[in-house]
Amino acid sequence: MSQLAPLDTTIEVVTPENIAFKYQLAGPFRRLPAFLIDVLVKLAIILFAVFAVALLAGITGSQLIGVFGFAAINIGWFMVWWFYGVAMETWCNGRTLGKMAMRIRVVTVSGHPIGGVQAMLRNLVCVADLAPPLSLQFFFEDAPPVYLIPTGIAALIAMTCTRRMQRLGDLAAGTMVVIDERGWTLPVARVEDTRVPALASYIPPDYRVSPSLAKVLALYAERRMFLSPQRRRELAKNLAAGLGDRFEFREDLDPDLLLYALYWRTFLADARDQDVDLQPLAGYSPMLKDAHLVAAEPVADSSDASLVEVAVVMEPDRDLEASIPPESRP
Amino acid sequence: MNIVSLLEQRRHGWEELERLCDEMQSRGRTRGKAPGATRFASLYRSACADLALAEAYQLPPATVEYLHRLVGRAHNQLYRSRNFSLDRSVDMLVRQAPRQIFADPCVHVCGILFFGLFWLSMLLGMSEERLPDFPAQVVGEAQLEQMESNFEAELDAGFDHYVMMASFYIRHNTGIGLQCFAYGILIIPCIFTLAYNAVALGTSFGYMARDSTTGGDNFFEFVTAHGPFELTAIVLSAAAGLRLGLGLISTTGLRRGDSLKVSAIRAIPVIAAASVLFFLAAITEGFLSPSPLPYTIKAMWAILSSGAMTFYFVVLGFPRAGIDAT
Repeated sequence: MSQLAPLDTTIEVVTPENIAFKYQLAGPFRRLPAFLIDVLVKLAIILFAVFAVALLAGITGSQLIGVFGFAAINIGWFMVWWFYGVAMETWCNGRTLGKMAMRIRVVTVSGHPIGGVQAMLRNLVCVADLAPPLSLQFFFEDAPPVYLIPTGIAALIAMTCTRRMQRLGDLAAGTMVVIDERGWTLPVARVEDTRVPALASYIPPDYRVSPSLAKVLALYAERRMFLSPQRRRELAKNLAAGLGDRFEFREDLDPDLLLYALYWRTFLADARDQDVDLQPLAGYSPMLKDAHLVAAEPVADSSDASLVEVAVVMEPDRDLEASIPPESRP
Repeated sequence: MNIVSLLEQRRHGWEELERLCDEMQSRGRTRGKAPGATRFASLYRSACADLALAEAYQLPPATVEYLHRLVGRAHNQLYRSRNFSLDRSVDMLVRQAPRQIFADPCVHVCGILFFGLFWLSMLLGMSEERLPDFPAQVVGEAQLEQMESNFEAELDAGFDHYVMMASFYIRHNTGIGLQCFAYGILIIPCIFTLAYNAVALGTSFGYMARDSTTGGDNFFEFVTAHGPFELTAIVLSAAAGLRLGLGLISTTGLRRGDSLKVSAIRAIPVIAAASVLFFLAAITEGFLSPSPLPYTIKAMWAILSSGAMTFYFVVLGFPRAGIDAT
């Protein structure tokens, strides 16, 4: 195994066309529920067939239907039990019902859709992956020594030993199971917080955000709603300190707000500058050189001004939940 | 640069491309046939262009990732791998499989192990005066009684009863074969399953061959027709599984995962041949074995099928020097 591989569950697949896909691998905790759902589905199909045949034979009262029906059930039972996975994965492009429910998919190691032969191999070897079976005597003292209960230890060992979390069947067929996320997220579409555009208007217009910084800002804006205000400040502090110096902002400006404003300016602000209603922020300046203009204490006759003062300037014990747009909360 | 409005413009095309991908995935072609395919191609190109310009547009990372996935999916649909072709399957069954089976030591080992133990247990099960309790010790009293009661009736008497039984045996024996194949990757369980079933089947056959057993004639009349197919298929599936397991152990200088994949490629023709034999056995077992046809026909069928398999394995499988020697 390469030492340079990141300690992560993503696998990058590079096609000959130089398109690199990143896949996120599915671990046992997604695959086991999917497997159990599939087992239940198989049982449901078989039971339904048994009931249907019994009902049909009962209604018509013909013995022939009963006999041939149960013969067909025997064959169908075998087919469903062994080939349900093969058929589903071949025709539904690597997904069974359980996998659909858990949003995972089987693809080849090179990232292509799997074929019938691979689906057959990986599903037949599944029996070996469930080994070693556990005896019924483990639970009941007087049970016969029948080894029926699958433990799946072979699959777990194989998954922990391989880089792509493959079980034995996957190894034989050259497949892997990836998390299949079809949806995509728009960036944070609207920033409700009026302080953000207000602050953004003070960022020098000649400042160009580098691509790497833009990436960081976008990631930060997507993540920030899952973080507590203290964590946000902790994360934003490092970047914001340098930016604040560059823009000549006050030391006590909330770093989270600064990054959010920069994000807004980079991604969301229209080229034509819309007039932002600054509301109570009119007259406030974050610039260092304007620090003497703003009273250090809140103005007594305006409750709004005190709010402003507190909101923009960071205070560790104040909760900034208000700055989260309500619809963007998870 | 307002990214939201840009994405709003672009996303309709992306969503349409995704829908077309879905259609192609489920049905192998788009709903709109030729116009749909053209539309798909142009959307694919524009998605590729969007991906290439992602840096310039300063798209957020999540969107870039989405685009990667979308382009990847579309690419997989555009350059589909041919999943199944009749020519290749026939070639695999008629040309590759017999040679693979003829030359593969796994097949020889499994064949000798299974049929050796089978005949040995059959002999032991038959010897009534020396080993009277042998079948009961191996298979169990209950199962022997069950078998006797199953085959008590004449074959033509209870046709429906035999149809039910045939379906059960198809399920049971094919299951054994598939289990042998699956356990092959772990080697020891495969050999154990194969040996155990050889002993159990052989003992049952031996027990039914005893003079004191009721229903023996019916039993042999029932199993003769499909026996050769079914037992050979079990051996072949175990051999294919063992090939996988050996690939995991003896890597011949390849990396372990790659060696397993190479073994899987070698095992596929064998398991395909086994599947065909299982299918033939099932057809025989479903229609010919329980039928009230005279025993001569069934015996003829057994001889014919054994001859056909011998021809397949030996004549077709005999190594030829030449271009396609593998």
